[in-house]
Amino acid sequence: MIVFKTYLRVVKKCLVPIIIYTAMLILFSSINTSNNDTTMSFTAEKPDILIINKDNSKLSKHLVDYITKNSNIIDIENNEEKIQDAIFYRDVNYVIYIPENYGNDFLENKEPEIEIKSTGDYQASLASILLERYLTSSKSYLRNNITEEELILEIDKTLENKAEVELTSTLDTTSLTKANNYYNFSNYCLLGGSIYVICLILSSFQSENIRKRTIISSMEDKKYNLYLLISNSVFALILWLLYVVISFITVGSIMFTMHGFLYIINSFIFSLCSLTIAFLIGNLMNNKEAINGIINVVALGSSFLCGSFVPAEFLPDAVLKVAHILPSYWFINSNNLISTIEVFDTSSLKPFITNSIVLLAFSALFIIVSIIIARNKRKIG
Amino acid sequence: MNNIIEVKKLTKEYKTLKAIDNLSFEVHDGEILGLLGPNGSGKSTTINCILSLLNYEGKIKIFGSDMSPDAYDIKKRIGVIFQDVAVFDELSVYDNIDYFCGLYIKDKDVRHEYINDAIKLVGLEDFTKFYPKQLSGGLLRRLNIACGIAHKPKLIFLDEPTVAVDPQSRNNILDGIKKLRDNGATIVYTTHYMEEVEILCDRVIILDAGHVIAEGTIDELKSLAKIEEKISVEVNDLNEKYIEQIKKIKNVEDVSYDNNVLLITYKKGKNNLVDLIEYLKNEKIVYSKIFSERPTLNDVFLELTGKGLRD
Repeated sequence: MIVFKTYLRVVKKCLVPIIIYTAMLILFSSINTSNNDTTMSFTAEKPDILIINKDNSKLSKHLVDYITKNSNIIDIENNEEKIQDAIFYRDVNYVIYIPENYGNDFLENKEPEIEIKSTGDYQASLASILLERYLTSSKSYLRNNITEEELILEIDKTLENKAEVELTSTLDTTSLTKANNYYNFSNYCLLGGSIYVICLILSSFQSENIRKRTIISSMEDKKYNLYLLISNSVFALILWLLYVVISFITVGSIMFTMHGFLYIINSFIFSLCSLTIAFLIGNLMNNKEAINGIINVVALGSSFLCGSFVPAEFLPDAVLKVAHILPSYWFINSNNLISTIEVFDTSSLKPFITNSIVLLAFSALFIIVSIIIARNKRKIG
Repeated sequence: MNNIIEVKKLTKEYKTLKAIDNLSFEVHDGEILGLLGPNGSGKSTTINCILSLLNYEGKIKIFGSDMSPDAYDIKKRIGVIFQDVAVFDELSVYDNIDYFCGLYIKDKDVRHEYINDAIKLVGLEDFTKFYPKQLSGGLLRRLNIACGIAHKPKLIFLDEPTVAVDPQSRNNILDGIKKLRDNGATIVYTTHYMEEVEILCDRVIILDAGHVIAEGTIDELKSLAKIEEKISVEVNDLNEKYIEQIKKIKNVEDVSYDNNVLLITYKKGKNNLVDLIEYLKNEKIVYSKIFSERPTLNDVFLELTGKGLRD
């Protein structure tokens, strides 16, 4: 009991860093809440297009009208140097040159050539698709003796057909994204908070002089280590509970669903793993001054490598491969999996369960190594 | 006499260094045993071996039973004050003592009483709410002692507890140690301050390079010295012929004259000082100061090893 009591007395001295980590988590989740409005709709983007029309036919005017409806028409003086500058600075994505006599030549099947200039990016591709669509339609209706008006009418009929894009998912992706970001970021706070407090406390309890005094006391070594482990566990549990409660406040109703439940379970398993990592580091280190450096390497490093701050899909494959050896990777991977689960059945939960087993295996490994180190430290020479 | 500690043929070797070589001694019930020796003589290593903090060869019995890392029945009757202060920076004076006492005493009320006794013994009544960083070096050492003895152990090891301590705190610490002995504790006290040993210890073991070079009471050890008395006289420009004459005075063992100080050592005998003053008066030798000293433990150590305790 005295070990636990003393542990709490020392924890009181670590309240400031705990508050800082919690504030960071709340701040991050608040920023996410205001910025991450991911709605379930699809809107086509409009490219910036410049049209240089040297033809006065109805067909060329119809082409210009069609492009105008589906893009942002940019007005630039017909000066080749200025047009080149506009393309270079991305003021315009696509330039369409309609030659003189285009309408007549087309109707006479002379295959007039429309010259284009492009920035080569995805918006230029969109512009290219628009133009291709129009030209393909017009060519398909071109036959002998068709008048310009008849051709325009046929083209209009075809181009009026629009594809409706409907996303059939029932997931509340806005809330899930918030929850996912929150729990991914909690990787840093849980790991950093646990390492800071547990290492600071262990560096006091395990400092050579205090350790010597404890070893020669009548308290059994196993009991003493057990009390320390229990005390650390209680701390980790309280920290985890605090972050779960905050998630209910900041993320909202999604936390009452099965998704929320899985996020909570996953973070609990990761808290357990963070505890064992902190316990291992605490047993290895003897210097309080080194704690901040260790947090930067372990908590900050693994958060960056495993996708806590930057989504994993933006990280290079090589980085993600290396990240496999870190517990954070499996925690964040599970979070990302949870956000995509639509039906909760064995097959959809299997990857989550596998990740959880990996995290528990990491925990077991760390605790075994910690016990071996603690046992070896029992003698001072 | 009841032996509290029995050490037989204790040997501790580090890679290339034999820190303790075949050391044997006993500590009797209720005594203060001084382990005296220069730095590196093996005092702290001996204590660490007795406490099973180090692996060693030999046999160590405490309270009649073999000592081992798992001998918790023995450990609960032992208190240790190490040379380096071992306290939590994050805890107050009271909470520090509470923690270390709590490793032995579960009952809260008993513990409270014991903690107050310890605080009183070391004179920290006015500092119970202070944190270690707010204490002076001397007060910190007193806290270190309180943490080691609060559970009222029967056997106490004090490993150089007065290093870098101000005179007031040193006196307080030494008084506290005497009180502990008077309350029935057996004490093993290591130091290289011979004056502390002379004030405190009932018996002394002098160690050098991991060996016992002498053992006994203060008087027994001093009797090992060839000299009985040292007289030093401050005198200016003493002629060589006087030095030769002084050498012929009764009981004189050796005479040296350096920096206007005449140092005369005597084998034995009474009235050496009176005889010397008489001689100086007759020869009309003017002197400013004159001192007479009994040999110290340092003289004993010097004679036995050829070097001083603080070399």
